[in-house]
Amino acid sequence: MTGKKTRIVIAAVLLIAAVALIALGAINMPRRTGEQGEAILDTLRIRSLLNATGDGVVESYVAIAKKEATAAAKAAGGGMSAIREAVAKAEEETRARYSNTTTDYASLDTTELSAAVTAYAQALAAYDAAAAEAEEAYAAAHIEEAEAAAQAEREARIAAGEEVGEETEVEVDMSGFVATQEMIDLQAKADERYASVGAALSSIYPVLDESALTTLKETITSISYQRGDTFTAQYDRYIAMGSGAALTNGTSAFMIRYADDMIYIGLALVVAVLVLLFYETLVAKLGIPRVIIGVFFILLCFMALLYDLSLPTLLSNTVVRMGMNSIMVLAMVPGIQCGISLNLGLPIGLVCGLIGGLLTIEWSIPGVWGFLFAIAVGVVLAAGAGYLYGLLLNRLKGEEMSVTTYVGFSIVSLMCIAWLVLPFRSLKLRWPLGTGLRNTIGLDSTNFAHILDDFLSFKIAGFEVPTGLLLFMALACALVWLFSRSKTGIAMQAVGANPRFAEATGINVDKMRIIGTMLSTVLGAIGILVYSQSYGFMQLYTAPRQMGFIAASAILIGGASTSRCKISHVVIGTFLFQGVLTLGMPVANVLVPGSTISETLRILISNGIILYALTKSGGESRA
Amino acid sequence: MAAEYVLEMRDITKKYGENTVLSGVSLKVRPGEIHALLGENGAGKSTLMNVLFGMPVIHATGGFGGEVLIDGQKTMIASPHDAMLKGIGMVHQEFMLLPGFTITENIKLNREISKPNAISRLLGKNMETLDMATMSQDARKALDSVGMSIDEYTMVAGLPVGYMQFVEIAREIDKTGVRLLVFDEPTAVLTESEATQLLSVMRDIAARGIAIIFITHRLDEVITAADGIIILRDGQLVTELRTKDTDVTELAELMIGRKGEASFVTAQPRVFPKDAPVALHAEHLAVDMPGEIVHDVSFDVHEGEIFGIGGLAGQGKVGIPNGIMGVYDAEGSVELFGKPVQLNNARAALQDGMAMVSEDRRGVGLLLGESIEDNIVFNAMQIKDEFTKKILGAKLKDGKAIRKHANDMIRELDIRCFGPMQHTGTLSGGNQQKVCIARALTMKPRLLFVSEPTRGIDIGAKKLVLETLVKLNREQGMTIVMVSSELQELRSICDRIAIVSEGKLVDVLGADASDADFGLAMSGIKPDERRKKGGDA
Repeated sequence: MTGKKTRIVIAAVLLIAAVALIALGAINMPRRTGEQGEAILDTLRIRSLLNATGDGVVESYVAIAKKEATAAAKAAGGGMSAIREAVAKAEEETRARYSNTTTDYASLDTTELSAAVTAYAQALAAYDAAAAEAEEAYAAAHIEEAEAAAQAEREARIAAGEEVGEETEVEVDMSGFVATQEMIDLQAKADERYASVGAALSSIYPVLDESALTTLKETITSISYQRGDTFTAQYDRYIAMGSGAALTNGTSAFMIRYADDMIYIGLALVVAVLVLLFYETLVAKLGIPRVIIGVFFILLCFMALLYDLSLPTLLSNTVVRMGMNSIMVLAMVPGIQCGISLNLGLPIGLVCGLIGGLLTIEWSIPGVWGFLFAIAVGVVLAAGAGYLYGLLLNRLKGEEMSVTTYVGFSIVSLMCIAWLVLPFRSLKLRWPLGTGLRNTIGLDSTNFAHILDDFLSFKIAGFEVPTGLLLFMALACALVWLFSRSKTGIAMQAVGANPRFAEATGINVDKMRIIGTMLSTVLGAIGILVYSQSYGFMQLYTAPRQMGFIAASAILIGGASTSRCKISHVVIGTFLFQGVLTLGMPVANVLVPGSTISETLRILISNGIILYALTKSGGESRA
Repeated sequence: MAAEYVLEMRDITKKYGENTVLSGVSLKVRPGEIHALLGENGAGKSTLMNVLFGMPVIHATGGFGGEVLIDGQKTMIASPHDAMLKGIGMVHQEFMLLPGFTITENIKLNREISKPNAISRLLGKNMETLDMATMSQDARKALDSVGMSIDEYTMVAGLPVGYMQFVEIAREIDKTGVRLLVFDEPTAVLTESEATQLLSVMRDIAARGIAIIFITHRLDEVITAADGIIILRDGQLVTELRTKDTDVTELAELMIGRKGEASFVTAQPRVFPKDAPVALHAEHLAVDMPGEIVHDVSFDVHEGEIFGIGGLAGQGKVGIPNGIMGVYDAEGSVELFGKPVQLNNARAALQDGMAMVSEDRRGVGLLLGESIEDNIVFNAMQIKDEFTKKILGAKLKDGKAIRKHANDMIRELDIRCFGPMQHTGTLSGGNQQKVCIARALTMKPRLLFVSEPTRGIDIGAKKLVLETLVKLNREQGMTIVMVSSELQELRSICDRIAIVSEGKLVDVLGADASDADFGLAMSGIKPDERRKKGGDA
């Protein structure tokens, strides 16, 4: 009772904070483009300019002093050493004099400069827009040619026996690009504007001569405008240059800069409040593990926003990874339902699917037909293997967890030998020297790479929807769901839930277990093909070893137990598992930059989730 | 100093929650006396012994009322180990022996005789060498005293069951200062000659001044061996008798007795003529159901009859329906309405028109994780393809039809639930039982087996279940075979009752047969023969 009260109090406090943050953010957000934002940027920009040119000014003074010292020394009739000494002394003195004087911004009249710089920035933006457009048009005109070249090179490399990676986005060689007339005109206009900036600067620092201004042009340009400039980008740039010191309207500048982050944190707090308030309902509906991992996932989303990572891209990746893993997770369902619990011997199915995929490449069956052929071969092989596997499991009832694990490991090891001796001939599959198949086999457009991902795929607000993949996943889920409502499916579930009950009803327990095992293995075969087409590689040798565990963990996280599961567990589990993994790594990279933490973390997170999931194998949601 | 009684229990009362399992039981045991403790299942024998041995289950559930005196001194027995120290030993029904150890080692387990050696002087008593010679001598003595000539170095693994029982007894006797031994159904697993030997060993032990409490259901043995007899019924002491003052018939009557509570459902028993059509005919039926083995049972059930099968727990009555329904391996021949039933085939049994409500509700009877409606229609769907619809050649479940039928059943049987989607695992025992009955009825059986239909359910639900059975029988003419440990229940609604003892059918009695007859039959004695013998004597 008191626990609930405390929770409500905390929630209330958080809610107030959230509302305040969101309000502040909402107020400050539009100011970025408004007057206040402009004014702040203007001030900062001018300061940065003055600081940067200030360095140029010092150099100019030094140059003048050196010249004067040389002349004076010469006039005094000193020798070379005297001249050198005098120059060094003059430089030192001049630097000491000017470097330590901080520019007193307030005393300077910068109105003219400000106007000039703004005009210059606009001119630069106009030029840049024109340039971007022209470059794009050029690229579009030459893309096919580039792709053909890339493909040719790729094939040449395969023929030469080199390791070939996934097909990457082809980039058009821009060396042939020539500036358009429009660009040249705009460039001239920008140069004109720069002249007026130079004039304004000279009026402040008379010492700056033509040559000094030419030297400073690049610096001034990069301060004034960069491609894709936003408020935050400019603000951060100027602050990084040290122009933020003693800003008169510092607080409001800070508020405006971090307006979006304030909104994010506010929203995160709202989520926290909701979780706190509806904690019991959530736990009752979803179970503690899903609440914990779900909250962790949402936390990662907000962290990604805070660190200005592209959330749509990350979420899009999550969806793709969910889709590509989903069928393998779905393969756990018939296993759990028929009573062999988690089918950790999934690699049997995976291997069958891989053989199907290899045959497609071996016989160069292109596109959709190749994919369907691979699935057909995989299904047939997996059905046979699953039958034998089912017979084995029927002889070892009660020990399924360890038996399936051993079987999974054994088949992977056995196939490690098989991959070396199977008589495949295609150069895309074989090592160029010696015998055996490659470790990873890159898929490309000549076979079934991305065949589902790209089917009807479209982009909304940076979020790419892999329509075909999602449709396939939905179809597979629907079929498994329908099966679980069929007479055979119901009998199979009864066998899993209570074999003695099923036996008393005259159901052939062994037969039902074999059906479940076969289905699970077949789904594994389809699953690995779906995974491979999305990933762009087929991985042989030890790669399939871990996948059974990953699939098992995903469904456990989704709320299944070792004896009970639903389709919703598959979808929720796969999404959460892959989501945490996909978002966790980039966020970790930002948190601890420049380290190999991401790889360590990937292993840590994925194995951690597996371990956690297995501790929950008793399952919690009985709803 | 020797007190008159080695053990005295005064006014022992024990409650498990609201449920009183023992009330005011007192008993006195003199040294060297054999007392038989009699009672039906659930009469309170085990609880009484648990109290005597200070079992954790007693302390964990709030202790007990009354007092225990040993040698006239009030004592508190804290644990089984404490009981052992106070000279109380138990010969268990299930053998507590280590198979990989010799007889000597088993007898001396945890009471080993050891002698000091160099290491033990340094590291303490645990490192002492075992004095095998002395241990063997002790074991020999103990074995001799139970009349076993077997070598004391023999491994326990592989010994005949009877021998193990004697080793167990030898171990108790070997304990120094043992004054009271409790034998828990010691003859249940023994052959007749072994049993006779055991009884004589018991008398030998008693002659040495050790008191014995002897739990059994074999009344003949009681008369042969015991000096005094204590009869419990429903947690109360019915009477304490001297053996010489009584006979088997009286004991049987006392043991069964009329229950205090009036039976709440009564159906007038009917007499079917000998040549009435037979619904079920079983001949030389043997069923291999662990704990409920049926050796050889033959009986006829008339069409439209409610046929009861009774007997004590573990005697095989439950094995009969399970064997016929193909749940456990069975042999023999069974005919249903004149047509032979294929044994060991649950599907065939169901297809032939038989259905069963299992005694193991949670184990065999229900899918606890599934909804009420799925449980109700499961058999009909799997056996008869009912409640399915064909979509694209696949047989899918017909949700609407299932819902309708489930709602009908819920109404008809008054299943208390939130709706047909509630999981059966969350229902009370009585409502679970109703779901089981609903599933059996959905099969529209011609013959219905109900096995222990009222086990573990409250009185209201019991009444409803029994009423439902009577209604089905009287209104729909369904033939019902009911197996129950509650004799009272069988007598209230059955037309005839078969009593099973030690896997064999002892007799088929009318519901109105006397208590003594039922009591005798439950002890494996056919009342008619007894009477004849009695008449002869």
